[in-house]
Amino acid sequence: MKLRTALSALALIGCLGEAMPAVAQTKPDSLGLGIFTFTSGPAAAYGMPGKNAADLMIEQINAAGGIGGVKIVPTYVDEAQGAQGVIAEYRRLSGEANNQVMIAALSSANCLALAPLAEQLQMPTVGWNCDTHQLLLDGKSKYVFRPNGNTVPEFVAYAVYLLARKPDVKTVAIINPDYAFGHDAATIFKAALKALRPDIQVVAELFPKMGSPNYQTEISRLTTARPDVVFSNLWGADLENFVRQAQPRGLFSSSQVVLALGETVLQRVPLPEGVIVGVLGDGWWMSPDAMANAQTKTFVGAYKAKYGEYPVFPSIKMANTLLYVKAAYEAAMKKNGGKWPSRAELVDAMRGSKVPTLTGTTVTRADNDGMVDQIVGVTVKSPNQSFPVIGEMVRYKGDALMPKEGQDPIGWISTLTPAFAASLPKPGSYK
Amino acid sequence: MNAIIPLALDTLSSAALIFFAAVGLTLVFNVLRVLNVAHGSFYSIGAYVGASLCLFIVSRQLNPYLSFVALLFSAVLVAVILGPLIESTLIRWTYGKSEAVQILITFGLFLILEDVQRIVFGVQSLYEDAPMRLMGSTAIGGIVYLNYQIALIAMAVLVVIGLRLLIKHTRYGRLITAVVFDREMAQSIGIDTNRIFILAFSLGVFLAALGGALAVPTSGVAPGLGADTMVLAFAVAAIGGLGQIEGAALAALIVALARVLAIYFAPSLDAVAPYAAMLIVLLARPYGLFGSITARRI
Repeated sequence: MKLRTALSALALIGCLGEAMPAVAQTKPDSLGLGIFTFTSGPAAAYGMPGKNAADLMIEQINAAGGIGGVKIVPTYVDEAQGAQGVIAEYRRLSGEANNQVMIAALSSANCLALAPLAEQLQMPTVGWNCDTHQLLLDGKSKYVFRPNGNTVPEFVAYAVYLLARKPDVKTVAIINPDYAFGHDAATIFKAALKALRPDIQVVAELFPKMGSPNYQTEISRLTTARPDVVFSNLWGADLENFVRQAQPRGLFSSSQVVLALGETVLQRVPLPEGVIVGVLGDGWWMSPDAMANAQTKTFVGAYKAKYGEYPVFPSIKMANTLLYVKAAYEAAMKKNGGKWPSRAELVDAMRGSKVPTLTGTTVTRADNDGMVDQIVGVTVKSPNQSFPVIGEMVRYKGDALMPKEGQDPIGWISTLTPAFAASLPKPGSYK
Repeated sequence: MNAIIPLALDTLSSAALIFFAAVGLTLVFNVLRVLNVAHGSFYSIGAYVGASLCLFIVSRQLNPYLSFVALLFSAVLVAVILGPLIESTLIRWTYGKSEAVQILITFGLFLILEDVQRIVFGVQSLYEDAPMRLMGSTAIGGIVYLNYQIALIAMAVLVVIGLRLLIKHTRYGRLITAVVFDREMAQSIGIDTNRIFILAFSLGVFLAALGGALAVPTSGVAPGLGADTMVLAFAVAAIGGLGQIEGAALAALIVALARVLAIYFAPSLDAVAPYAAMLIVLLARPYGLFGSITARRI
């Protein structure tokens, strides 16, 4: 009997030990962050700017004393190892007591794979690039947050901008990468076009494999179809390859091209003027709001000095995510009298927060989904830069293009009307 | 009718690159009777060396036409260095061994070469299109094509003819034919089979590296290129019949046509089309289009 009681007591202590993170903790020596991004392979063209921004922002935060006096120590995980490797690394890092927040991930596929794990392990996970609208769909997430917006407002914004700029569009072709992000974007973009202009015809839909080095056949197919508009959310080296291969073949002059992630290649490939590009959110470092923010100008200057190029929107997303995490810690500590917050207190602070970022404000809803404004424009020559910049911009309010909590996103898009689109700001209105 | 010209040109230009990737594999199997799983790595190494040399030429503002020479030179360099080295130190140990052992050893080589590429060339993508820009473009049937793509088709035809002439009309080719036909007899009449093996393997490496280098001006180079190329090369070699050079050419056309037709008419099948073609051919002709059953000597 005594042995049984002792064993029960030990079991109870073990359970209490598991529950410890729910109670405020003593301040650690350092705050471990697991940061997931692509540091190798074709996707590194997008992932490395994120890592570079993380390095710089963490350096700046630590130089100012860290978060609540605690320095940040990042551990980077290369998503190029594949989902199984990413999951294994996530589990490993979660097992270390020092790691208290995960900044994950870049790839939509990895975001979706890690979300249930985050809930199971009760690990606060902030999706720095988890745009896929499939994340957080059920509204039940406690530990997964996404402050940088999602694919619904991102791609509806492109449809609205395109129709405002080119109201006589009749045919559209799509070339997107063959995975969740590419297919989701096509679904959303087509749904928005159908709602706003049902007569528009999609004449070609191509989904080349991610990492394809050669798009010559796809380019031939697109030019054969002769669409008014070519829409693409190719990214990373895939986008660079596509632009380099398509431009000499006249695709940019025969069709209006929309490159959803085109801002990431402005400094790398000579995009012609008039290409519709955006930043999947508000992360354009040259936007009026960004240029009016002293912290942003300092960050941009330091980034250029350190890395030899200006930050692109993945960099800004990562930097904004770190500011979001910092703000959550500060809010949680303010609420609990200055003690180092538990994971539960941290996620409570994230939910419902409104956090100023380098380029605007991110608002987190009760379903953990974040709302940010959407900036879209076209490439224009700049007298001050050796590369094209974004001009004729519009800035759509974050909540204007976002379905309500619990609402089916595609169903919501189908309710949009031309009158709604007409009520939104016009291209060139954001100065 | 409007679609026929782009279909034909896209098929031929895709087939050219696929042929370069596969012909070396089938040549090596023909002579050495080794199925080299690492063959795709030679393609990607050729691409990396070609891209690196072209980037060097552009960065030093040398004559841009030197980039054409650089592409050819990179294939020669890769073949001269890696061909004899790998054949004499690793491939030679697989002769006469079972296919399973050959595959395991060459797979290990593939993994090593993939890591070597990452160490030497880094993990970022490379792109250099100077040769493509120099050659300009031409509108054919209302579609703009790169003159470089058309040049690739001509290059592939030249390689097919060149290999045919090499095998049929040169002393080296006759020696290879003798070794292929009866290795023991060739040795017994004094043919240095080791030298033939080195030369044949190096030629296979050269062809793969040439394909990779020639692909650079119209494609990017990134980690993983070797693996993708290897899978496609195997499909082509299987369709054509292992050891059949003309078979590799026809098989490359079939695979390219399957992929191009998928992109134009059924894009969702684009990734599987080449392998579906392989399956169909092998069901009808298990040894490939030009392959045949060979008696095993006991």
